[in-house]
Amino acid sequence: MPIVKLVSEYFGNEEARNLKWRLEHGGYEGARKMFREMEPSKVTEEVILSNLRGLGGAGFPAGRKWSFVPQNTDKPKYLTVNADEAEPGTFKDRYILEWDPHRLIEGIIICCYAVGIHTAYIYIRGEYVRPFERMQGAIDEAYEAGILGEKTLGQDFKLDIFVHRGAGAYICGEETGLLESLEGKKGWPRLKPPFPALVGAFGCPTVINNVETISHLPNIMMKGGQWFADLGCERNGGSRLFALSGCVKNPGVYELPLGTPLRELIYEHGGGILGDRKLKGIIPGGTSAAVLSADEVDIPMEFESLARAKSMLGSGAVIVLDETVCMVKALHNIENFFAHESCGQCTPCREGTMWVYRILSRIVDGAGTPSDLETLKALAENMSGTSICALCEGAAMPLRSFLEKYPEEFEYYVTHKRSMVEDLQKDSVLV
Amino acid sequence: MPTLTINEQEVTVENGTTVIEAAEKLGIYIPRYCYHPGLSLAGSCRMCLVEIEKIPALQISCYTVAQEGMSVSTDSQRVKKARQAMLEFLLSNHPLDCPVCDQSGECDLQNFYMEFGRYDSRFLENKVKKKKAFPIGPHVMLDQERCILCTRCVRYTDEVSKSNELGVFNRGAHSVIDLHPGKTLDNHYSGNVIDICPVGALTEREFRFQCRVWYLETQDSICNGCSRGCNISLHFNTSRSHKAGGKRILRVKPRYNPDVNHWWICDYGRFGYEFIDQNRIESPYVKDSSGLQMADWETALEKTAQVIKDSLETSGPESVGVVVSPQLSNEDLQLAHELFVEELKLTNVAVENPWEAPGVEDDFLLKADRNPNRKGAKKIGFEGDAQTILEKVSSGKVKVLYLFWHNFDSKEALELLQNVEHLIFQGVNWHQTAEVAQIVLPGVTHAEKDGTFTNFEGRTQRFQQALLPIGDALSDSEIIVRLAEKVGHPLSVSLKEAAV
Amino acid sequence: MSTTFEFTSDNQKIFQTILKKYPKKRAAMLPTLHLAQHQQGYISPDVEEYVAELLEVPVVDVHEVITFYSLFSQKPMGKHHIRVCNSLACWIRGCDQVKEYLREKLGVEDGEISEDGDFSWESVPDCLGACEMAPMLQVDGYFEGNLTRDKIDEVIERKKRK
Repeated sequence: MPIVKLVSEYFGNEEARNLKWRLEHGGYEGARKMFREMEPSKVTEEVILSNLRGLGGAGFPAGRKWSFVPQNTDKPKYLTVNADEAEPGTFKDRYILEWDPHRLIEGIIICCYAVGIHTAYIYIRGEYVRPFERMQGAIDEAYEAGILGEKTLGQDFKLDIFVHRGAGAYICGEETGLLESLEGKKGWPRLKPPFPALVGAFGCPTVINNVETISHLPNIMMKGGQWFADLGCERNGGSRLFALSGCVKNPGVYELPLGTPLRELIYEHGGGILGDRKLKGIIPGGTSAAVLSADEVDIPMEFESLARAKSMLGSGAVIVLDETVCMVKALHNIENFFAHESCGQCTPCREGTMWVYRILSRIVDGAGTPSDLETLKALAENMSGTSICALCEGAAMPLRSFLEKYPEEFEYYVTHKRSMVEDLQKDSVLV
Repeated sequence: MPTLTINEQEVTVENGTTVIEAAEKLGIYIPRYCYHPGLSLAGSCRMCLVEIEKIPALQISCYTVAQEGMSVSTDSQRVKKARQAMLEFLLSNHPLDCPVCDQSGECDLQNFYMEFGRYDSRFLENKVKKKKAFPIGPHVMLDQERCILCTRCVRYTDEVSKSNELGVFNRGAHSVIDLHPGKTLDNHYSGNVIDICPVGALTEREFRFQCRVWYLETQDSICNGCSRGCNISLHFNTSRSHKAGGKRILRVKPRYNPDVNHWWICDYGRFGYEFIDQNRIESPYVKDSSGLQMADWETALEKTAQVIKDSLETSGPESVGVVVSPQLSNEDLQLAHELFVEELKLTNVAVENPWEAPGVEDDFLLKADRNPNRKGAKKIGFEGDAQTILEKVSSGKVKVLYLFWHNFDSKEALELLQNVEHLIFQGVNWHQTAEVAQIVLPGVTHAEKDGTFTNFEGRTQRFQQALLPIGDALSDSEIIVRLAEKVGHPLSVSLKEAAV
Repeated sequence: MSTTFEFTSDNQKIFQTILKKYPKKRAAMLPTLHLAQHQQGYISPDVEEYVAELLEVPVVDVHEVITFYSLFSQKPMGKHHIRVCNSLACWIRGCDQVKEYLREKLGVEDGEISEDGDFSWESVPDCLGACEMAPMLQVDGYFEGNLTRDKIDEVIERKKRK
């Protein structure tokens, strides 16, 4: 399938950030059309029809999430756009923020109109400094031009958009962790229910959507929900950004229709494996997703197929692992991340992530034993379904899948005290 | 009022009741750390996970609200396995301190581990190192390695004492609970964190290494520190006097009473038990030319009776003054009233020490009145302060002063007392006033008798005897009954009834 | 020796605009701390007291926040702070050698400040969100990727001149 240029239309175009240029190239057309032709409830219906899924990780249907917000409430409602992009391997939202911030603003206008929201916060991870500057610049331009404020796009609809910078915590990408951080506290996720649609930011009904999810809305308004749904595949509407990295010749952001085979992404668009080496495994949706073995490379990249394969489409971050990558060390790297990012609130995650990391460190240092592998499997099970939020699952899924799909590498390491692919690793050198 | 089934037993509960509370109604105790009925919900320890029909994942019972028709299992294989898993996680970084940890014997980590397992450890790593055993306040010791991060103490300082000294710092397995740098846990209610800490992370400094908890006996009592009348439990050791330097009372813990003190007690009450064992008057004393000499009860009481009878004869009832104490029980005061007011018809009778500095009062538990039974005394008929009486002592109008408990240690009071002809002191601790008395009679503390105190609201509460009277001390009731006989006015209560 | 911290008059104005964005004062915590760290270079105890007072929250809550988030530092850093990404894609593409080279070039270990105070560096396990240019680092907040020895030399020279 060919590359699609919908949300990524202006990636790489230095002029797209400029409001004047952007207005001449379709900027805010979708939102204007919506104001002219649609009632708010019709907008939500159209988004439900489009099968637009949450593109930050969970894949929850966006329109359905909006419909959970009570309409008959006298509390203010909020939108928080999740730009905390921190799932390892993910860098696609960064492109939207850096290259086409006005598209995001337009998407925010559409969502807020549909749900009846007048204040939106964009939660940008603290490490994204240039994206923050560009986003804030676009917002300032939008206010100046009367696109935002008391009369959004000249309509009788007030909308304020504020950027809230994070300060370096992956857990603030979790919905309720984000809300806690927005409210000025440490990002400890909340117990659910109540869900944010009922009780979210400052105790008020809140919609939380990923940057990319929101950024698809202008096209959906222009061309209709059915068009978007048809572009994708069953239950997965439209296209999405894939962030391709790892052992590929052409790492980068690729927009493709949902359902595109993984093989195509890696070989056709990504240029294939570095040095034309052999594929060993693929992480299909950020390191929280279970790893796929090389023979699963024909899987269609859409939510349900990945779920059936016991993995997930997640954040669309595809990390390619070839024959020179030691799977034991790769898992060790992944679990280091989770141990570092666990917020520490609940028992299984706080203790489990650290324990798993220390076992793997010992194995990597050559002091592992076969019983360690049994312990790791048991820990993966004990860390599933017992925690407050999904970070713990995110640590358990790679653990389980690496052990399951590459047992020979783990067994080799604990028996021989070194990596099975040690000799192949002379390749990754700093030039 | 939903009806739900827990372990195949039905129970009907109020709307809003959580599953953990509903289970308690059936006598089913679901293990928990972070849940405490006096604090907000954290839902973070994950110990109270239960299986609920039709819900795929296990749910925490402290947070799940009971619904009509819900079917819960607290002892299925899945639940047992999850409990083992959580305990294993908590024990992974927990130091093997049991042999030196004061919490041993009343530790929820030990108790749940013994009940649920896993009994063979598979943790082979180095444990995360944190700060060990350092004081965070005058009464509390913190050991961060033992902490299981249930956050009860942090929520306590946030919501109950509202003093905000504690917080959870850092992230992940490096999370620690600590004081805000530069602060001390020195609010009036700091000791309660010791009770709510399920493990030995927060421990009592006064109790540190004093005695193993399984050597302690307990008895229900009422605090005598102020007029709130917090319900307490006295913890004492009398069978192993080689421990803790022979101290009998080793600690005081609050008892739950939703109408008086809930789960809490202030630090004055919690740590104010030393007077029960220290500096006690253990025998009657009578003063002669060379000072106070030990005497036996017969002699002391005979002398006391003589002094009173003589003064009544020569100078009438106005010449004998009595100052009772709001530290005495209702039972003691009843008898004192019978003897001194009804029988001997004395008129110079008072109960208050006007020079006693009022304590701190706040909107939580502390009352300014540092005595437990002022209201009780008033109801029985004792009122007024001792100033007038002491002035009459000074002017010679009152020749005999029978004084209970009070320490008149102000300059003014001592001057007035200087020329008293006969001062009879009945109390428990040595102090300035006791030492200038001619006759000293040892009474007992509330720990050494049964009785009641009436708190500032008019609530009469029972306390029970924990210890035998120290040395040769007798209960105040018994002293009064014996004295009454000797002055020729036997009371309605028999000696047997008055004795402990 | 830190004296009592206060926002500059410019930062006072910025703080007032920050406050307007939120319905509750506490929500201004992160942006206020960013502003303070930008002014002083790190968060000292008197910054915590100052911010706690401005936002009307207990000071322990501020301390919880600054120890929780990776970007707040309780110690001064070098004039230019470098963060090297260690996440999976960067590890695959050679971040270990980047760290080795930085250690050599700057003469200090992970987490330390160079002798002349110009640079400090740390290696972070979090993915910085730039895997397409792995291996990469972040200096003064901006990303430098597709690193080679020459590229690292160039970045350091450029920063030294500032």
